[in-house]
Amino acid sequence: MVEPRPSAPTGCEGTEVVIEVDGLSMVYSERGAETVALQDANLSVLNGEFVSLIGPSGCGKTTLLRLVADLIQPTSGRLEVAGKSPRQARLDREYGYVFQAPVLYDWRTVLKNVMLPLEIMGVPRDERRLRAARLLERVGLSGFHQQYPWQLSGGMQQRVSIARALAFDPKLLLMDEPFGALDEITREAMNLELLRIWEETRKTVVFVTHSIPEAVFLSGRIVVMTPRPGKIERVVEVDLPYPRDPETRESERFFELATEVREALRGGH
Amino acid sequence: MPAFRQVLPILVVLAAVIALGYPLALVFGLPLARRDLSDLRKWRKELVTSLAPSDLTPLAEGGAITFSPQPGRSVLVLEGHPLEVEPDTDANAVAAAAGRPLLVPGEVPERLTDLLYRFPVEALAGEGADAIYAGTRLLKEGISPAAERPDGKRLDFTFEGAEGPVLVADRLLLEGEGFNFDQGRVILSEAPPFGSEVRRIAADYAVLDAAAGIVALARPAAAPLQWAQEVVRLAERLGGESDGANRLFTLEHTPVLENDRGRALYLDGSPLRGNGERPSERVSGERATFTFESASGLVVLDGRVLIEGIDYHHSGTEVVFVKPPARNARLRLHPDYLLVDPERGEVLLAEPPMPGAVLWVAEYSYYSEPACGPTLYQCFLALPQHPVPFPHWIARRVAPFMSKFPLNDERNVVRATFYTTLGTLAALGLGGIVGILLAVVFVLLRPLERALLPWVVASQTIPIIALVPVLLLVLGNFGITIQTSLLPTALIGAYIVFFPVVVGTVKGLRSIDPLALDLMRSYAATPSQLFLKIRFPAAVPFLFTSLKLGTAAALVGALVAETESNNRRGLGFQILGQVQSGNVADVWILLILSGLLGIGLVALVGLLERIFAPWKRA
Ligand SMILES: Nc1ncnc2c1ncn2[C@@H]1O[C@H](COP(=O)(O)OP(=O)(O)OP(=O)(O)O)[C@@H](O)[C@H]1O
Ligand SMILES: [Mg+2]
Repeated sequence: MVEPRPSAPTGCEGTEVVIEVDGLSMVYSERGAETVALQDANLSVLNGEFVSLIGPSGCGKTTLLRLVADLIQPTSGRLEVAGKSPRQARLDREYGYVFQAPVLYDWRTVLKNVMLPLEIMGVPRDERRLRAARLLERVGLSGFHQQYPWQLSGGMQQRVSIARALAFDPKLLLMDEPFGALDEITREAMNLELLRIWEETRKTVVFVTHSIPEAVFLSGRIVVMTPRPGKIERVVEVDLPYPRDPETRESERFFELATEVREALRGGH
Repeated sequence: MPAFRQVLPILVVLAAVIALGYPLALVFGLPLARRDLSDLRKWRKELVTSLAPSDLTPLAEGGAITFSPQPGRSVLVLEGHPLEVEPDTDANAVAAAAGRPLLVPGEVPERLTDLLYRFPVEALAGEGADAIYAGTRLLKEGISPAAERPDGKRLDFTFEGAEGPVLVADRLLLEGEGFNFDQGRVILSEAPPFGSEVRRIAADYAVLDAAAGIVALARPAAAPLQWAQEVVRLAERLGGESDGANRLFTLEHTPVLENDRGRALYLDGSPLRGNGERPSERVSGERATFTFESASGLVVLDGRVLIEGIDYHHSGTEVVFVKPPARNARLRLHPDYLLVDPERGEVLLAEPPMPGAVLWVAEYSYYSEPACGPTLYQCFLALPQHPVPFPHWIARRVAPFMSKFPLNDERNVVRATFYTTLGTLAALGLGGIVGILLAVVFVLLRPLERALLPWVVASQTIPIIALVPVLLLVLGNFGITIQTSLLPTALIGAYIVFFPVVVGTVKGLRSIDPLALDLMRSYAATPSQLFLKIRFPAAVPFLFTSLKLGTAAALVGALVAETESNNRRGLGFQILGQVQSGNVADVWILLILSGLLGIGLVALVGLLERIFAPWKRA
């Protein structure tokens, strides 16, 4: 079911649909065995929205994200990204992808890692240096331009990877458990930072997570998914007002919403 | 001091290796030294001869002579017959003991010129070889013919070991009047006629005309010439009792040479025959009767002395065995005596000498001492080649070896090292480029990899010692040799280097994390961007690891190539040369040098790696 929804209560006015998922299914067949990773998924994500995908392992979150990114092709159903086919959207560099692992290139310094997409897209040398530096400053890594990835901590590496995804200013940010490998404290700090960046840039974000508090704290909407076969169970509207801060986590509404998501997750079983 | 800390382990290992060199040198060298010490064939041979009056003079002066007469072991001999007096080894006492002068001169020879004398005919007759003396000094006769034959025109002749006047037929020519020297050759002023004899006096004198008694001296006599009619000599008497029963006697100096043709034993005035006679018949295994030249003697079968009456009987010149000797057994008849134990100098006579008979020896040879010296360590030091030389011997050779040839000579070692270095670097470059290109092709075109990879592997199973001559032959057709060009060395080394480079680079190009590839896809990167920005940099550390492996192998390749026979450049030539001429210390210098070169080249590759792959963790 397509559920056109008004934007978050902050008055985020975008009504343009950035991702349109319509009856999308993905079946992996490997050596005769078929895995239904995604079944009849319906979802639209509006411009400037922060949407989280949450669900137990194997429910097709990554699959959905990879479909959107045109890294794999769906078995059936319709998918539009920024009003075009996923392939065209990819060629037009409409999205930036952040993986669970930082996937930095060993032989490039932090600065050059961030500059890589700009290099590929043919941005002039001076400008890409300027943009990369600005993004590194935004993720709080101004002093680390010339370091190599192995010289950074896991959290720092993930911040480089976010800066890199933002470097070419894509309309859409696809993030697959970017903070999954981080400890709780770092993760909360990164949440705040991501939220700040989102509030500044107003990008559309699709964010995969396993953490209910993270989903509630960050998102305007939470898409709850259940496995075997992977499908969208329901969508929880998060009406906490932006800008949010650490206190938001202690509010009563936060706990109510968390409970709602938890129940939705349980409902799928 | 990070540089010091890097060099330190190398220094420690070097010190350990040097320290290890000493025990190793002994471990490998002492067995060889022991062989030299114990093998009689490697001992010095010494000749014991009876002493002429001229030899006895230095004895009286306390000088050195070949045997040291002990009381009872010396005998005075007059013209081959022992005198019945006990000699005292003072020369004058010897003369007194003999009761006559040691030398009884005959008629004084007639002096014709400085060099020509006329002797009484009987002086030169018979065993006159030791009959001419200058004072008491015995003169030696000797003459050697020219190496070339006179053809009526030839003027230049060469003689071996001769330095006296030249004789053409019987005419005496002197230097300056008749011939001159030119670069060791004798140039006659007049060509000797075809077929004539051209000779040169090699020792003290030569007999020109025995019938006329004409003798030519090599140089004017220092003392009046005399012809010795009788000479008393001092000889060694064998140990052992002459009591009519004893047959076993001993020589004083041992071990005695077993097969000594010069050994001359005498019983009183008659010479004894010690060599074994062969039987006229074959030892067939069935035959029991054998004939020998001599009618009596010691019958020796396979080294065992048989006993007459038990093992055999004599019947005329025939020996009749009780039991036929085994087929092909070694059967000998020693007519007079047998050297039964060369080690102890024991001589067994066929017949016991009569009481009072004197058994003496005019001449024999023995092994005096190991040629390398009396102790094992001296023999070790004297080894002509040490498999592992003492490290300081190697060190001592470094400077002379390095400067054996001037720096501008291609055989100079420093220059050779330079050639080999250049060759190996060229090989690295060429092999690296070929390897990288092949790896790129393989990664881009998988079917090509499947088709070509087995051949790449096969190429490495061809031993380079087989490949090198073929390649050099092919290149030689185009006039390209190691002597004139780096190309052969580079090609051979490259042939070795390219393999690890291909394997390593392919692995490196494929070493990309699938997520990293996804990321590039999300950027809609082109294949060439993917290659240049991701695959290639990821392969760089792999490439350098391969190059390091290849460097050592390329160096070996270059060394092998340089051993090619027409080549004189590079360390390979040096190693081969020093191995062939047996300069072990120099070989070790070259081995160490090659090792250091290997370390240096790999370090150089490591340095390049730090420049081209600076991201690697320290
Ligand atoms: N390339 C693939 N080939 C075959 N099966 C796959 C493939 N990728 C995913 N699957 C299957 O599809 C299902 C969904 O996978 P997906 O990675 O989307 O799950 P996920 O929700 O991201 O799980 P997690 O939270 O563990 O990352 C799983 O059962 C998985 O086994
Ligand atoms: Mg996943």
